[in-house]
Amino acid sequence: MSSAVDITRAKQIKELEPLQDAWVSWSHARDSLQETIPLLSDEDPAMRALASEEYVSLTETLSEHVHSVFPKLLVPSSSTRHLSAMLEFKSGVGGSEASLFLADLLRVYVRHANANRWKTQVIASNETDGGGVKDAILEIKGEGSYDALRWESGVHRVQRVPATEASGRTHTSTVAIVVLPLTEETDNFSSGDDIFSMDDVKIEVMRARGAGGQHVNKTESAVRLTHVPTGITVSMQDERSQHQNKRRAFQVLRARLMDIKLTKEMEDRRATRRNLVRGADRSEKIRTYNYAQDRVTDHRLGLSLMNLTSLLEGDGLQDFIDALKRSHDEDLMEEIVEGL
Amino acid sequence: MFDHMARLLASLCTHLGREQAKQEFKWMKQALDKGLIYAPTDLSTMVQRRLRGEPLQYILGTTPFGPLDLLTRPPILIPRPETEDWALRLANGFFPSPTRPLSVLDLCTGSGCIPLLLCHLWPPGTTRAIGVDISPSAIQLAIDNAVRCNIATYDEVPRTLPQTNTFTPLLGDIRDSAFLGSLKPPFDIVTANPPYIPKREYVELPTSVKDFEDPVALIGDPPEAAQQDGLSFYHCIAQLLSIKGMLKESAFVALEVGQGQAESVESILREVAAFREIDIWRDPWEKKRVVVARC
Ligand SMILES: C[S@@+](CC[C@H](N)C(=O)[O-])C[C@H]1O[C@@H](n2cnc3c(N)ncnc32)[C@H](O)[C@@H]1O
Repeated sequence: MSSAVDITRAKQIKELEPLQDAWVSWSHARDSLQETIPLLSDEDPAMRALASEEYVSLTETLSEHVHSVFPKLLVPSSSTRHLSAMLEFKSGVGGSEASLFLADLLRVYVRHANANRWKTQVIASNETDGGGVKDAILEIKGEGSYDALRWESGVHRVQRVPATEASGRTHTSTVAIVVLPLTEETDNFSSGDDIFSMDDVKIEVMRARGAGGQHVNKTESAVRLTHVPTGITVSMQDERSQHQNKRRAFQVLRARLMDIKLTKEMEDRRATRRNLVRGADRSEKIRTYNYAQDRVTDHRLGLSLMNLTSLLEGDGLQDFIDALKRSHDEDLMEEIVEGL
Repeated sequence: MFDHMARLLASLCTHLGREQAKQEFKWMKQALDKGLIYAPTDLSTMVQRRLRGEPLQYILGTTPFGPLDLLTRPPILIPRPETEDWALRLANGFFPSPTRPLSVLDLCTGSGCIPLLLCHLWPPGTTRAIGVDISPSAIQLAIDNAVRCNIATYDEVPRTLPQTNTFTPLLGDIRDSAFLGSLKPPFDIVTANPPYIPKREYVELPTSVKDFEDPVALIGDPPEAAQQDGLSFYHCIAQLLSIKGMLKESAFVALEVGQGQAESVESILREVAAFREIDIWRDPWEKKRVVVARC
């Protein structure tokens, strides 16, 4: 039987593993180096050659520890590392072409999630007649998915000749993505918690139903929630079940409020450090997909990937996500150093 | 292929309006794709049926009811979202435990939706429910739904079985006192969504209700009744509730009513001496929908 204490301890041990590993490999390299030094002046020339090769590789390992492995351990572990993600997609400028691009992006994130063994579900989607999607909500369940995807928030731009365009002119259209933190679902979804109080939420069903009850058997399952203090509204209508739509709407509401809470906490931290790093602006253009040049550019990183298909059909997205994480970790380390 | 689909959707739009048509079309496709349709069929047959006015729930063969997914079968009344709403509210208002179990009587049980929801939401071993209906096909559907929801349908649970909730559908006419013999009163909770539509409103009903659902489930008064106000069943139920030994000491009663009937049903219940407190619950569309009474 494992008690709660055991579980907490096991978690702590698990989280200390990287530190332990780094220390073990550092000590191991250092000991080997000490053993190698006398061999550099060995009588046997073959031995000397071997030793000097070994010497180069060991010093490389040690400096790698100093420059990268140990500093990385300083990055405080993220308080949101356990959270799942909810991605909201909205097509922007570009009309039906934006909707088609949204459908492409949706597939990119579903494929990326599958590659990471995260579970995906499209919980709302507003399809257009031409095979596009006007807006959608994608749930990505799995530990770490929020942390990995949070920098995908922003405006994604595509420059390409639409399939529907006879003249062959390049169009520019956009899709906005907002990545929200998704907390564990509770059984009683509509009871308030530390994020909101039930008294602040107005629940409305959509459309008139005439006499209702036995008189009507039409399916009317659309639901709208309004969080009065913030004015946030969430509408859900994709499921036949009103109960299910309500559950989903509460999930989205909770994620949006959690997002506001996290953003505020981050801003407060920055304010206390008098560090005026600008928070991520979601109306900012973060990435451009340029078909003519077969290139995807991340504007924050100034990084371009030359193979657009690898991003759309393969897992090129991982490269951006890794680079964004590195850049975030470096920022954090800088903050720590400045605070010393 | 694409054209064919577009034509099907367009014809649905002219019948249901664009938004509703898009939704229903999507649900039909989803049900087909996931293999949730029992009878062999195809999208165009489904759309044809819908165009003739058949309720979507009969075409798909199921309907959601709270967290449950219940079978629907013509002509048994399709559970309504108004009923779903108050049944959930009722479930959330009680906290039975194995040491304080509840016995429930659901009159006019139809698909069995109300007692099945209670049995599903309340902890195992806390609920013993009985449902009565005059229609043999409704009783069969209630049994099938119990199986589908993993709720035991027999009343005598062998002692060796782990504690379970039970739902027993019984065939009977609630206007005939003979059915009382098979009940085991007293009850903690009595629920009913009896037929309540007055004859003159019945003839005005939309096709999908009038031509597909059982009139016996809808029309509130027998043809020979002097009053044709849809309230006959409430008089009958009030009489049942007045029988000594029917209700436990602090029993709770919930009766669904039609538009404009709440006050009349409230005064019918006032005649039942046992009730201390009578209240009216509204549905999500703000209609007075349920008369609730407590002993
Ligand atoms: C409006 S439906 C309600 C079904 C279900 N409880 C629900 O809420 O969806 C009314 C039900 O009462 C049944 N019924 C009609 N007359 C009855 C009677 N005299 N005794 C018992 N049941 C009757 C009908 O067969 C029908 O299933």
